Formats: sequence, structure tokens, C-alpha cells
Amino acid sequence: MRSVLIAQLRAHAARLVASTLAIVIAVGFVVATLVLNATARSTVLEAVGAQYVGAAAVVTSTDGASLADDVDTLAGLGSVAAVAPSYETSVQAGIPGRVGSQYLFVESVADDAALRWQRMTEGALPDGPGEVAVSERARAEVGDVLTVTSYDETGGESTSEATVTGIVDLSGDPQAGLFGRAFVTADQARQWGAVDPVELRVAAAPGAGDEQVRSDAATALGDRQVEVLTGSERADEAAANMLGNAMALTAVLLVFGTVAVVVAGLVIANTFAVLLAQRTRELALLRCVGATARQVRRGVLGEALVTGLVSSATGAVAGIGLAALVSALVGGAESPIPLAGISVPWYAPLAGVVVGTLVTFLAALAPARAATRVAPLAALRPVDQAPLRSRPGVLRLVLGLLLLLPGVGLMAVGVTAGDVLIALPGGVLSFLGVVLLAQRGVPPVVAAAGRLAGRLGGVPARLAAGNATRNPRRTAATATALLIGVTLTSAFVVGAASTRATAQAGLAAEFPTDVVVEGFSGELPATLVGTLAGTEGVERGASVLAGTVTGPDGEPTGAYGVDRDEATAALRSTEDLVLPGPGQASVPEWLAQTWDVADGDRLTLGGGDPDVEVPARELTVRVIDADNPLLLDAAELRALAPDAALGQVWLRLADSDPERQVDVVDRITDVVAEASPDSQVTGLVTMRAEIDEILDALLLVVTGLLGVAVVIALIGVGNTLALSVVERRQENGLLRALGLTRGQLRGLLAWEAVLVAGVAAVLGVLIGGAYGLIGAASLLGEIGTIVLDVPWLQIGVIVAVATAAGLLASVLPARRAARTAPVAAIAA
Amino acid sequence: MSVPVMTVPGEPPAATPAGVAVRAAGLRKTYGKGETAVQALAGVDVTFARGGFTAIMGPSGSGKSTLMHCLAGLDTATAGQVWLGDTELTALRDDALTALRRQRIGFVFQAFNLLPALPARENIVLPMQLAGSRPDPVWFDDVVARLGLRERLGHRPHELSGGQQQRVAIARALLPRPDVVFADEPTGNLDSRSGAEVLGLLRSSVRETGQTVVMVTHDPSAAAYADRVVLLADGRLAGELTDPTAETVLDALRGLGA
Ligand SMILES: Nc1ncnc2c1ncn2[C@@H]1O[C@H](COP(=O)(O)OP(=O)(O)OP(=O)(O)O)[C@@H](O)[C@H]1O
Ligand SMILES: [Mg+2]
Repeated sequence: MRSVLIAQLRAHAARLVASTLAIVIAVGFVVATLVLNATARSTVLEAVGAQYVGAAAVVTSTDGASLADDVDTLAGLGSVAAVAPSYETSVQAGIPGRVGSQYLFVESVADDAALRWQRMTEGALPDGPGEVAVSERARAEVGDVLTVTSYDETGGESTSEATVTGIVDLSGDPQAGLFGRAFVTADQARQWGAVDPVELRVAAAPGAGDEQVRSDAATALGDRQVEVLTGSERADEAAANMLGNAMALTAVLLVFGTVAVVVAGLVIANTFAVLLAQRTRELALLRCVGATARQVRRGVLGEALVTGLVSSATGAVAGIGLAALVSALVGGAESPIPLAGISVPWYAPLAGVVVGTLVTFLAALAPARAATRVAPLAALRPVDQAPLRSRPGVLRLVLGLLLLLPGVGLMAVGVTAGDVLIALPGGVLSFLGVVLLAQRGVPPVVAAAGRLAGRLGGVPARLAAGNATRNPRRTAATATALLIGVTLTSAFVVGAASTRATAQAGLAAEFPTDVVVEGFSGELPATLVGTLAGTEGVERGASVLAGTVTGPDGEPTGAYGVDRDEATAALRSTEDLVLPGPGQASVPEWLAQTWDVADGDRLTLGGGDPDVEVPARELTVRVIDADNPLLLDAAELRALAPDAALGQVWLRLADSDPERQVDVVDRITDVVAEASPDSQVTGLVTMRAEIDEILDALLLVVTGLLGVAVVIALIGVGNTLALSVVERRQENGLLRALGLTRGQLRGLLAWEAVLVAGVAAVLGVLIGGAYGLIGAASLLGEIGTIVLDVPWLQIGVIVAVATAAGLLASVLPARRAARTAPVAAIAA
Repeated sequence: MSVPVMTVPGEPPAATPAGVAVRAAGLRKTYGKGETAVQALAGVDVTFARGGFTAIMGPSGSGKSTLMHCLAGLDTATAGQVWLGDTELTALRDDALTALRRQRIGFVFQAFNLLPALPARENIVLPMQLAGSRPDPVWFDDVVARLGLRERLGHRPHELSGGQQQRVAIARALLPRPDVVFADEPTGNLDSRSGAEVLGLLRSSVRETGQTVVMVTHDPSAAAYADRVVLLADGRLAGELTDPTAETVLDALRGLGA
């Protein structure tokens, strides 16, 4: 049989191209996904956990106590090469050519090269005092001399100068645009007021592993309140903190990986099933001339194994290449998509080859069994005279329902509990159920759509409707492949839209102000609000008074006063930051605990200045998040603290891209610096815009990758049509003889493609939309209030594109069919 | 007994005389090129009268099917002309030829006559639907009744016997009242009783409605149903018979060495 197998492979090389292509693309897709996942992860890690990835271990104080004295302890360990304490402080820096000063966050640079993680855009890291490297956000140039105002522990102010030696590249770090960062030697950092390092980064001695360093350090510091992690663990943690919710991130990646493997598997299975079904006759002929059933089966499976192995290997290589290409195209310093270089985890190509080969082999099992069951005489009967009736498939129905129902149940539980780890297996189970049931469900829908099309498209459409339902199994297989792709794409689009809406609402609630201007040491001039509100790019401003009041415990405490209407207009959201009206007080949680008040309680506040007699006021309490100040109505505050003055200005910027908003924040900084040199400008707006951009980019990448699944499915549509054309050569010849023009014959195939693709697209969008909403609800349930959002436009585009692509897939087979000579009907 | 057909080589008459349904002049068909070229038709001149039932006969490989395909506009001739009434088929482009086939020519093939997905009724009206016209219901009923298909209209081809399938094909061929019906071995796959039935139906459509029928056959007793037999050998006309009987046809074929 081996010679037959080889002859078969050779003779059918052309036909195998189609299935090979499907496997190559599918495996390439899996591998590229895994590689891109790994790359994105490592890029985020590198950007956000950059300072940790190079370290063997990281020691963090858990009680805030200084670790300065532990440096020598650790440095003495045999497995440790160097220890770098992280000193942090902040300064105000004047930059040549710019009015006023800006806030710089200062970090110490390690002495040891192994612990120096900074990538330089330009220049070098500082080597001694008087030198500083800054991030791009500082907008200084190499050689600039900064005038640095620093503050010691007691608030004493001192001024020094520092020369910029280099610019540090922080691309990939979402916080890079938030404020400028400065990097100096540890000595310089201490001079600028840094005290008590709470974090030590440890480099390994040659030959020592990270884990060994970690355990040595943990043992050495056994009696201290510290957490000791390996560098990569700490980096993971930092990345997770940065990305909000580590659980959610892992879940998203998990979902995506599962999806990739499931799609690929099903598409390969479908394509191969269609291809082998075509050869039933040929296999029956082999039986006719004396091959045993076993020989035929072994031949088919051998063929599948060889095909699967060769094309999976090709696909793995193609996938890595694709990932490198994507990374090179969309990555880079300016891109918000966290992709840099390429990391190929060992399991990616392996998984690709194993999945591809295994699935091809499994896909061939059923047709191989069917082929051996075919009576040898089948080879001699004319092809497809009687329409095929799909067997009842009770097993399929039962299995489908057994998967679908518990799956739906699990999803329901997942949504209610807000737990994606329950909903995910439910989704996979129910989706497998859907795929099994599609075999039964799709043909009737296609038939119904066909009746509709017949009314619209005349004879060719009617014939196409008949053809499309003639071999329900094949139609179902073809449609299912597309259905899978469309379902998953729409699930992601809908899910991402909801995630995005929820994230936006969450961000707005958490960071309701775009920009806050705060007097650094004292009050702001009252005219500042008007000046800032008139600055280009600023939409609204609100003034916030600062004063002192006395609480029920008799202690003076700082309070802010706002005009509710004015302030509401300047905020993105008042969900978390509830603003008080007259007679109300918004009390942060910690203060509410101190004063022992709860929502709705009455609270009596007195004047803050013991020298000025003012009547006490009774206010209704509303407890708000702990990270807010005590908020009162502006008029109430003025009554309690007549000397209250402008303490903060809240600004809302016009919506635009992050770069433009950075410019606006710079303009504001300049304006503020002129009016009140001693003030601080914090612009959270850029962070929001950047997170937005990252979500957009991720959505684009994911949709693009799933688009690949749709492309594979469309190859399936083209493939099925091509096979139908071969199979219906006689029939098409007869139609041509009876008066079907070439154009009408092309139309017939186009209608057939549109029917199958259109039905698959519509069903896919419906099912996928539901999955997307369920996914978002269960995924975000853990995080907070869910905002569901259905992007109708994108949904419409998906249906249109899938249908149009189906049409496109019919072009080549249709051309071939149109070339069928009318005599083919008789000459066959 | 074989009467040579009147021919004017290289100079075909300008107009087709009234009473002639199909006419071919200097018809040649060569398959392949160079060494392996096969001359299936080596210059055939023939006319078929309107309202006549003609059988084309000859040894296997003599070019019968090829001649019929060229006459019916299913295949293109290498040289020569074919007229259907006043229309020169050999001058038409594919779309015009297709439109002409569905309105003016009917076909009955030996096998694979019907579209498997369509019930008999749909198969019968298909060419008219493709032409965008509606069958005259009275004529439809008449044809269906004569062919005994009234009870079978809802059945799909695989639910019909071979003879019934051929009758559906004949109904389809007759329904548009074409200028001519071509049949290539319509009884080749049938037993003698069903074959006789089909041939009788073809003949009665000629007798009763004046339909022109041209039929290729191997079977002398089938040819006996025709008014005239045209004999073909090696791609050339090799004589003809009028009012044939099974015996005269057999004799003529023996004369050709078949
Ligand atoms: N497509 C083709 N390619 C090459 N040669 C062909 C082709 N079709 C027919 N021929 C050749 O042309 C000649 C005439 O063939 P044709 O089919 O017309 O014969 P026929 O008289 O119908 O024979 P039969 O009685 O066996 O059906 C034969 O020699 C045949 O081999
Ligand atoms: Mg023949």
C-alpha cells in the first residue's frame, strides 16, 4: 500500500494544496498568536518591569522601614554580585528656555552595570553628582543645565544645578507621559532628599540562579518585614499592577489562546473532511480492484499524517515569520502596542506542529471509516445522482446538546458570579456544542434563505439554493468553518467594545479630573482659573477653595470647597467623587472612621481658626473613597474659614490624542509657572488617553488575528465550490446545453457562495454577539460596574465583509465552471 | 438504393429554402493537432426538412455525435457552416448561441438528462425559465399528458425509472416548441419496451404537432421509427434511406462494413 500512498500523494498534490494551505494558515495562526502573546507579554514586562527583569531578586520592605542597612548583609552573600538600593524623591526643575519649573520624579541609578536597566535614546546615564538623565517627557536636551529645587525631610528648600547627560527611553510604559522622570546616582538622590530605600535589587554572582539568590536573600533577611521575589516575579507583579488586574489579563490571554487552538482545529477538520468526502468514489475503486478495507483506511490515514506533518511544520515557520513581521510593522518606539522584537517560546512551534498533525489525523479518521464502509460498487455508480441525505446523526445531536446545555449553564453561573474562569469553560463547551449542532441547524436556514434568494435572483439563484442544500453535510461543514470565524470575531468585537466602555467609565470614575493645578506651598492667585479656562485646549475649569475646619473630635483638618455645578462640569465622572451641595459634606472613608459617621448622619463642623469666631454648621454626611479630601460646598467652607483661598484648579481638556494633550498640559504648566511658580500640575488626562489607545490597538490586533480564521474559512468556501464544480461538471454542461449563459453559470455559483457565507455570517454575528456580551459581563464582573456596548457598525461590516469575501471565493471556481463546454454533459 | 445528397461544394445557397429546418455545408471537425489530429467530420453537407424525423446512423466512431453537437450549437465546427432556419449558428458568439439553444433547440441525451436537485416539473420548464418566458399552460398540460407524466411531476429524477426520466427529457425538449429536437441515443440505456415507448412518443410528436426531430442511434429497429436515415462513415455522408425498416437499415449498415 505504500506505493499507492505515495502515488496518491503525488497524483493529488494539486488537490492537497488546498488542505495543506488551510493547515499551514491555521498552524501559522496558532504559532503567530502564541509568539505574539509571548512578545506582547515580554514587552509589557520589559517596559513596566524593566528595572526588575535584569535583577536576580528584589527585596521589598512590607512595613515601609528602611532597607539601607541590609545592603551590606546581602552584598556579603556568596550568590550575590551586587545590590542596588532604590532611592526615590521628587524635585522641581527649571529647564532652559521654559518658564517656571516642572515636577520630576527622581530615581537612583544602580552602580552595577547588571542592574542598570535604562535604555538610552541618547547620551549616557550619570556617573556622579551634578549629572542627571531624564525621560523624554521632561523635554530637556543633552547638555542642558537644570535648575533643581529640592526639599529635605523637614521641608527645607535648596537649589542646585545638574547637567543632562542622557535621555532615557521609557516607551511601552503607559505612565511615561504622566510626568518627567530623572535618573541620578544614589548619592545625588540622597542629596536631593531621598531617604530610606524600601526596595533593593540584587544581581546574581556568576553561576548563581535567580531562585538561589532569592532563597539566600530570604534566609539572610528572615527576621525582617520584607517580601523577597525573583526579578521576573517582581516584574510580573509590576506589569500586573500596571495593567490593573492580573487575573483579567491572564484570563484574556487564556481566552485568546484557547480560541486560536479551537478555531484552527475545527477549520482543519472541516477542510480535510470535505476533501476526503470527495474521494469516496476513488477509494471505492481501490476496493473494487482488491484493496482490503484496512489497507484503504491505513492509506488514507498515512496520507493525512504526512500531509499534516509537512504542512504543520511549514505553518510553524510561517507563523514565526508572520509574528516577526507584525512585530516589526506595528511595534516600535512610537507605537502604543506593546511589541518589541520577538520572543519565541519553545512551546509555540511544538504546539503548532502537534495540534496541526493531530487534528489533521483525527479529521481523517471519520472519512477513512466512511470510505471503508462504502460498497466497492459505489465507484461504478454515476456521481451524485441521488441527492445525499445526511444520516439522522442522533449521536451528534445528543452530544451537541450535552455540550451546549451545561456550557450555557456554566456561562450563566459565570455571569452571575462575575467569574470568567467559570464562564470560559462554559463558553468552550457550549461553542463545541454549537459547532456540532450547526451540522443540523445550518442547512434548514440555508434552505430558507435560498427560498428568499430564489425570489430575488431568478433562475440562477433558485438553482443555487437547490445546490446549496443538496449535500447538507458539506454545506454545513463549509458554513460551520465560516461560522466559527465570524462568531469569534464578533464575540471579540462586542466583548472589546463593552470592555472598553466599562474601562472608560471606570477610569473616569477613578480619575475624574484631567488636570489638577495645586499650590505647592500655599495658595494660588484667584485669577488663575479664568486664565487657565481661556488656554487653548482647555474645555472647562473649576476653582477649589482650600481652608481649615474643626471636626467633631476638636482637631483641625483641611477641607476643600467647591461649587457643585461648576465642578461637575469640569469632571469626567462624579460616580466615585460625589460632590457636596449646600448643607452636605463629602467625607473620605478614613475621616469618617475617625469621626465615627456614616452616610446620612449629621455632622457638626466648627471654624478652623481658633482666633476667629464663626458659628458651627451642621451638615449631612456622604462617605466617599479614601483617596479624596474632605469636600464641602464653597459657601459653607467660606463661612467656616473666612480666609479660605484658591487651593486647586480642576481642568477638563478637550478630547484629542495623547500627544496633543501633552502639549496642552505643557502650556498649562507654563501659564501656572508664571502666575504661581510654586505650584504643581498633574495631568492624568494623558494616561487615560493612552490606555484608550492601547485598548484600541489591542482590539485591532485581536480582530486582525481572528480575521485570519475567517480567511481560512473562506478558503474552505472556495474549496467546497471548486470541488462542487469538478463534481458537477456534467450537470453544468447540461445546464449550458439547455441555455444557461456563462454569466448565469457564474451567477449560480456566486449565489451559492453568498447563501452559505451570508447565512454563516449572520448566524455567527448573532451567536458571537451573545458570547461577547457574556464574556464581557463575566470578565468585568470582577472589576466593577459593567457597561455593555454593541458596536453595530462593526457588526454590520463583519457581515458585509464575510459575505462579500464568500462572493470573492466563488470567482475562481466560477471561472472554471464557465469554461465547461456544453458537450461535457454528454461526453462524460 | 443510396441516393447522393445534392451538394454545391464551397458555394452554399444564400438563403435556406422554406421547409428546411437545419442545414450544414462543408462541415469539418478536427480534434487535436498535428500527428494526433483526428478528423471526426471530413466535410459534411446535409439538410433536415421541417416536420421530418431523421435518424443518423453509422459505425462507432463515424462522427455521429460530433455531427449532432455541431448542428445543435453545442460544439464549434473547425470549418463549414450550420444554419438553423435563417440563422447561421457558426457565426454566433457564445451568449447568442446559448440564448438560441434554450429557445429554438431541444435536447434529449442518452444519460444524465436531468438536474438531480430539481423535481420533474422544474426540469421540464427549466429552459423556458432560463429564457425568462412562461410555458403556455394548455400546451404544458398537453405535452405532460401525452408523455404520461402527470402523476410524476413532483418527483425528483432519482425517484423515476430510466424510461420515465427520458420522457421527462422529451417533455422538456418539446415544451418551448423548438425548431428542432436533437436526440443522441435516447434509448441507449433503456430496455426494449421503454425504448419503443420513447420512440413512439418522438414519432407522434412529429406526426401530430409537426415537430422536427433528429436522432442519433445504433439500433436499426429504432431507426425504423424515422422517416429518413442518414448514414455516416469516417466523418463523411455515406448515403441515406427514406421510409426505413429495420431490415433495410441493417442492409445499408452492412454495406458500410459495420
Ligand atoms: N473530444 C474529443 N477529442 C478527440 N477525439 C474525439 C473527441 N470526441 C470524439 N473524438 C473522435 O472523433 C471521432 C468521432 O467521434 P464521435 O463521438 O462523433 O463518434 P460516434 O459516431 O458518436 O461514435 P459512437 O457510436 O461510439 O458514439 C472518433 O474517432 C472519436 O475518437
Ligand atoms: Mg456517439
